[in-house]
Amino acid sequence: MSTQDESISRRTFLGGATGAVALSGLSLAQAAAAQSAPGSNNEALPAQWFEGPDPSMPKAGLRWAFSARVFFADRVMINTMDSPAGRGYTSVGGGDIWGPRLQGRVLPHSGADYYKTTFTTYYMLQASDGALIFIHNRGTMRRFAGQYEPGKPLLPAPPPPASQEGVWTRFRATPVFSAPLGPHDWMNRTVFVASSQRQANPDHTVFNYYEVL
Amino acid sequence: MRDFVVPKADTKILGKIQLQYAFRLTAHYDPPQESHTPRGTFRYQDILSGEVTGERISATVYPDSGGQYDTIRADHVRDVDAHFMLKCDNGEWIYMEHVGYRRTDGYYRAIAYVETDLKGKYEWMNNTTFVVTAQESADQREVVFHYYIAN
Repeated sequence: MSTQDESISRRTFLGGATGAVALSGLSLAQAAAAQSAPGSNNEALPAQWFEGPDPSMPKAGLRWAFSARVFFADRVMINTMDSPAGRGYTSVGGGDIWGPRLQGRVLPHSGADYYKTTFTTYYMLQASDGALIFIHNRGTMRRFAGQYEPGKPLLPAPPPPASQEGVWTRFRATPVFSAPLGPHDWMNRTVFVASSQRQANPDHTVFNYYEVL
Repeated sequence: MRDFVVPKADTKILGKIQLQYAFRLTAHYDPPQESHTPRGTFRYQDILSGEVTGERISATVYPDSGGQYDTIRADHVRDVDAHFMLKCDNGEWIYMEHVGYRRTDGYYRAIAYVETDLKGKYEWMNNTTFVVTAQESADQREVVFHYYIAN
């Protein structure tokens, strides 16, 4: 899968937000299979390791820690994202958290994404033991239709589609957590990266958080 | 506080993610200078020079363009906060920011946020998430960073 395939247009992203069309409906059979699929419950998964061209280099690992579904409430824009001052506001309604290392919920109405060109979210998680965990999540979403090629103009982002069919809605996120001392303290000293998938009907995003090992 | 009922949605699905090796940076620093602050021990380290090598990039660290502005916390973990500039062989500039942790067990990992010229050769680095591994020399004056694209 190329980086370009992972591209996402902010305008498309927002344009789709107001549509009432589902991304793609899961059939009941698919939904049943998803219940037991890896990553859909709290069972740990093995770490994945990646290496560079030189075998003497340290390997980099990813291990699924937990996932969060964040359901959004308001989507507001100040100016437009095409203006130099453009800033968006997407408030967090709530959500749920599952996985081997953290379970709980997204604290209802505890913050928002206050994005400019990159998204910048601040809100709270609440672990099943009641602990409050602050998340500051940063990430990028390419707003161009493709990569720049020298001598060629940047391709503008495509217009908002009539439906979300075929629109790329995956992106990466990099959170920093502030967790209380105690069982969640490991989150204060671990680097994370997330694969994220936006969903419609209702409007929410699934964040799969991986520990960087 | 208003309550919230999580809607029923069959979306507990893991997306795919992988790390793809991109490039190496060998960075050279002045000795760290530490000072005590209400937040912990502030640790400043000037970046003197560095070499970036990889299939898709050739650059050097612009001397004195920044460095490490880390904080050593009460639990001895170092919050890494680095800012500096790269100058590429073709003259283009790259802003580099690192956010991560250096632990006493040797774990030194970060996320790199990179900004480059939208009309330049290195535009591919914009809006790309980099996962960084780092190895610090015993005297902390040389650090080898390896950058992986989170694809």
